[in-house]
Amino acid sequence: MPAETHMSNGDPVDPAEIEQLIRERLAEILEIDEAGITAQSRFAEDLEADSLALIELVESLEEELGERTVGFAIDDDDLADLRTVAEARDYVVSRLGGPTG
Amino acid sequence: MTEPITIAIDAMGGDKAPEAIVEGALRAVTEAGVQILLCGQEDALAPLVPAGTEGIAIQHASQVIAMDDEPATSVRTMKDASVTRAAEAVRDGRAHAMVGAGNTGATMAAALLRFGRIKGIARPAIAVVVPAVAPSPQLLVDAGATVDCQPEWIVQFARMGREYARTRLGVEEPSVALLSNGEEPGKGDDLRKTVYPLLEEAVPGFIGNCEGRDLMTGHPNVVVTDGFTGNIALKTAEGATRAIAKLVFEVLDSTPEAREAAKVVMPLLLERAHYIDPEHTGGALLLGLDGVCIISHGSSGATGIVNAVRVAKEAVETQVIARLKETVSGAR
Repeated sequence: MPAETHMSNGDPVDPAEIEQLIRERLAEILEIDEAGITAQSRFAEDLEADSLALIELVESLEEELGERTVGFAIDDDDLADLRTVAEARDYVVSRLGGPTG
Repeated sequence: MTEPITIAIDAMGGDKAPEAIVEGALRAVTEAGVQILLCGQEDALAPLVPAGTEGIAIQHASQVIAMDDEPATSVRTMKDASVTRAAEAVRDGRAHAMVGAGNTGATMAAALLRFGRIKGIARPAIAVVVPAVAPSPQLLVDAGATVDCQPEWIVQFARMGREYARTRLGVEEPSVALLSNGEEPGKGDDLRKTVYPLLEEAVPGFIGNCEGRDLMTGHPNVVVTDGFTGNIALKTAEGATRAIAKLVFEVLDSTPEAREAAKVVMPLLLERAHYIDPEHTGGALLLGLDGVCIISHGSSGATGIVNAVRVAKEAVETQVIARLKETVSGAR
C-alpha cells in the first residue's frame, strides 16, 4: 500500500483545491470572470493568456504553495507542455506528491 | 523634513551601459535632487563612481539580461539580474521608482512580476511622450508593451493615458483619439471598429479616430492604440525624423552658398533640436503597474538617464499611481 502523500503542513493534496487555486489566480491575472475558466480551458486558445501571464501564474502558484510545501517550484522546461488548466493542475499535484486527476 | 526620493536604476541595461548610465546617475543626484540606487555588477560600477560621492549607493546584482534575451523567462530564471533587483528595491520600499534602459520586455516583466498590476488592469501599456514641434507634446499609449490586445484593454489604456496626460502634459481635460487608418468612425480593422464605441462610452475627452499624420502635432493630446501598431507608429516617426534631419544636413552642405546659409540656419536648428530629441523626452511610464517604472530609450546617454530620473521623480511626487488607481476604480 503506497504511503499517503501530504503537504508539509500535514494537509493531503487535494486536486480540486489546486484546480480552484489555479482558476482564482488566472481570473485575477487575466481580469476575467472565474466562472469562464474550466478544467478544459486552454491557456492560449481559450483564455488568450500570453507567456507573461503564464509566468505570473507560475510565480503566484510558487509563492502560495511554497508557503505550504517548502521548496515547491515549477520547472521552466515543463511549462511548454502545460496547455490546459487540467494539465497544470495534474502537474502541480504531482510536484506536491499527490494523486493526479 | 521630507524623505528624499530614491530612484533605482538598472545600471547594466542599455546600449551605453554601464558608463553612460552611471554618468547620468551621478548628474541626476545634483540636477534632479534625488538619491540613486545603482543595481548591477559592483566590480563594473564601483570604479565609475568617484570616492566620496554622496547620494549614490550600489546594490550588487550578478546577472545581466541582454537586449535579445526572451523577456519573461529571463526575468524568471535570472533571479539576480540587475533589472530584477531594481524592481525588487521598489517593491521592498528601498526605492520610490525604477528606471531601466535595457531590454524593454524584460524591464516590463520584472516590474510586472515584482510590483503587480493595478486591480482592474489586465495588461500594462507604455505611455511615451512623442517628440513634437507643437505647443504641447502628445502621449502615445501603448508604444509596445502589449502587442496582442483585446478591445477592453485599449479602453483601459485610454483611461490611464488620459489621467497621466493631466500630470505629465499639464493638460486639465486632455483629448483622446484612437489611432486608425482614417478619421471616420467606421474606419479601421475589426479591433478598431470594436473599440471605437467602447471608447465613446467609457472615456471622457474621446474625440474619435486620428491618423498617423497626427503624431507629433500635439493634437490630440493622447493617441491610444494597441502595442503593435503603437510601436510601429513611434518607430516610423523616429525614422522619418532622422531621414528629414539627414536631408537637411546634406542640403546645407551641398554647395558653397548652402554652407554660407548653414552658418545662419544651423545654430537656429540646433537650438530647437531638443523638441525632437528622444534624450529630452525623458522616458516612458509603464501604465497599469502598482509602482513607478520608467522605460528609457535603449540608446540613452547620460542626458537621457537624467531626464528619465526626472520623470520618475515627478511621477512619485504627483502620486501618479494613486491617481491611476482612482481612475480605474471610477473614483476619478
